[in-house]
Amino acid sequence: MLTTIETTLIYTVLLGSLYLLVSLGFSLICGVLRIFHLGYAYLFVATIYLTWFFYHTLSLPLAVAIILMVILQALISIAIYYGIIARYLKQEEIIITGLLLIALIADQVANRFYPIQAAVYLPTTIMPGSIAVGSTNIAIQLIIAAALGIIVTALFVLFFLKTKTGLAVRAISYDLNTSKIMGIRVEQIYMFVMVLTILPVIIAMLMIAPVWAVDPTMGWGYMYTAILVSVMGGLGNIRGTIIASYIIGFVHAFASFVVAEPRLMNLAALIVVVVMLIIRPQGIAKTESLW
Amino acid sequence: MELEVKREKLLLRAGTQKFEWHIEPRYWRMPAIWIGLLIVLPIFIYIVYPQLLPTIIDANLLAAIAIPLGWMTIGTGRMNFGPQFYIGAGGYAAALASIHLGWGPAPTLLVALVAGLFFGLLMSPLSIIAGGLYYTLLTLLFPLVFLEVTFIYTDIFKGDVGLFGVLPLISVGNFTLNQFLICMLALFIMLIYLLIVDKLLRSKFAPQMSAINDDEEVAEAMGVNVKKVKIISFTIPAVMMAVLGWFYAHYYGTFAGITYLPLSFMLKILMVSMIGGRVQIYGNVIGGYFIAFLELVLIMLLGDYSPVVFPIILLILLLTLPEGLFGLYRKRRYREYLPTLHVRR
Repeated sequence: MLTTIETTLIYTVLLGSLYLLVSLGFSLICGVLRIFHLGYAYLFVATIYLTWFFYHTLSLPLAVAIILMVILQALISIAIYYGIIARYLKQEEIIITGLLLIALIADQVANRFYPIQAAVYLPTTIMPGSIAVGSTNIAIQLIIAAALGIIVTALFVLFFLKTKTGLAVRAISYDLNTSKIMGIRVEQIYMFVMVLTILPVIIAMLMIAPVWAVDPTMGWGYMYTAILVSVMGGLGNIRGTIIASYIIGFVHAFASFVVAEPRLMNLAALIVVVVMLIIRPQGIAKTESLW
Repeated sequence: MELEVKREKLLLRAGTQKFEWHIEPRYWRMPAIWIGLLIVLPIFIYIVYPQLLPTIIDANLLAAIAIPLGWMTIGTGRMNFGPQFYIGAGGYAAALASIHLGWGPAPTLLVALVAGLFFGLLMSPLSIIAGGLYYTLLTLLFPLVFLEVTFIYTDIFKGDVGLFGVLPLISVGNFTLNQFLICMLALFIMLIYLLIVDKLLRSKFAPQMSAINDDEEVAEAMGVNVKKVKIISFTIPAVMMAVLGWFYAHYYGTFAGITYLPLSFMLKILMVSMIGGRVQIYGNVIGGYFIAFLELVLIMLLGDYSPVVFPIILLILLLTLPEGLFGLYRKRRYREYLPTLHVRR
């Protein structure tokens, strides 16, 4: 029993920290742009398959492949911002449907060129092997990923709280019109946030790619988690996102180790989120601000 | 003999005689003409090229799903991103009843109706509790969770293989005639749905729904029973969609959640609504036929590349046709019924 509790707690921290990386960008877009980015799923697919394309198909060194992937992802984000989000800011149904289609296109392109049989594998392992924490064996790569999740989130929080750009982002998240009157270049900040949000996802995917399975449809699963975390935390609030990540991490760990039925993870998390919504309709952080 | 187009008239001169036909959009929008064409089309295809009948069935079913979704969207003032949940509920209920109890399509229709009603009523409070975006998010997740449940309880739902052995919808011995009759049944269901929602949007209920769609608080202040309208507008379309699940199960003789519950199927329905005419009910029919035939043409022309090109074309159409295909026929801007999602404050 003690072992189960110990394993559950360890995985709560590990999964919660990973979910932070997965959902931070989604939460930021919701908080700042006030856009429900249903195309968020494409980021996960693009990270893996663009890197694989540069690394395997073009036979470039891994570091170069990653750099090219980041640049391309940033360009795609800018194109999505100008092509869809900025153009249809007042017609949200078009934005949402358009973004969903982009995720579907990414999914289909990846599936066409690198189907699951292609056995895509990115050698991004920082440290191989596993370590025993108490009576639980954990892959070191997962521990590094979780640590990075905490570090990246802390850097994001510091950035938003301590820098001028961060202040501008927070100002927009509080009140868009007043921010414009105060001289904040909203367009630039929006674009900056779009590009910034890809970083946690890229880090998360590169870290977990060698440990967890990748396939062209994996983006939907991660987006699913990001939605649950963001809804539970209160859309757009980083503080809420942090708390919600660990709650969802706990629910997943509980379903996997206490109930011993990992397939119930998402169902259990959804039930928890729905109950939470009934009790607190606006999520954990009852505020629409970023922090 | 001479044919010319002049001042929105089609002129046919044959010797000293002159025939003219008005081609103004208001005449083209006469429902009788279109309904007549929709009935004639399967008959024509049955005679000329029966291989196209499944595409017509698909088109009618897509339109039939999008029509109640339009009602749900208008009446609740929210975008439901998980209509396929009710298709899944109706389909699985009908398939399970048919396989385990040996029931034919008539009794399983009742089972599907009860399943739709149950889940519709169960989920309908969401349209009151959850705000615009939260509602959208949760409705998006429900079918995905349902899909997971079908994988968890494989002994009941048979996972991605699906349930086999559902009794056929119609069986007259001749395959082509069977397809034709199924096609007519699909058309009949679609037209019935169209009629119901059309009548509804012309009834006293319509201003109440549009008031909710515009501003719930103002609607409540004006005396509209917001909760009642929302529950009705959620539950009945859910039942209508469950009936289509029943149709799918008996039509194919099998039902697998992996076909209907993922986001890709929802996206297809959403595109029927958006490209057809942005939740405009007649636009749904155009959208249904357009999407079904576009998919067929792409598969024929591009083969393996069609799943990639299909969403790209849809994206281009979404961005270039702001009022959808039905909007091309419109002279004046119609009453905007599509609710906003209230993402921003």
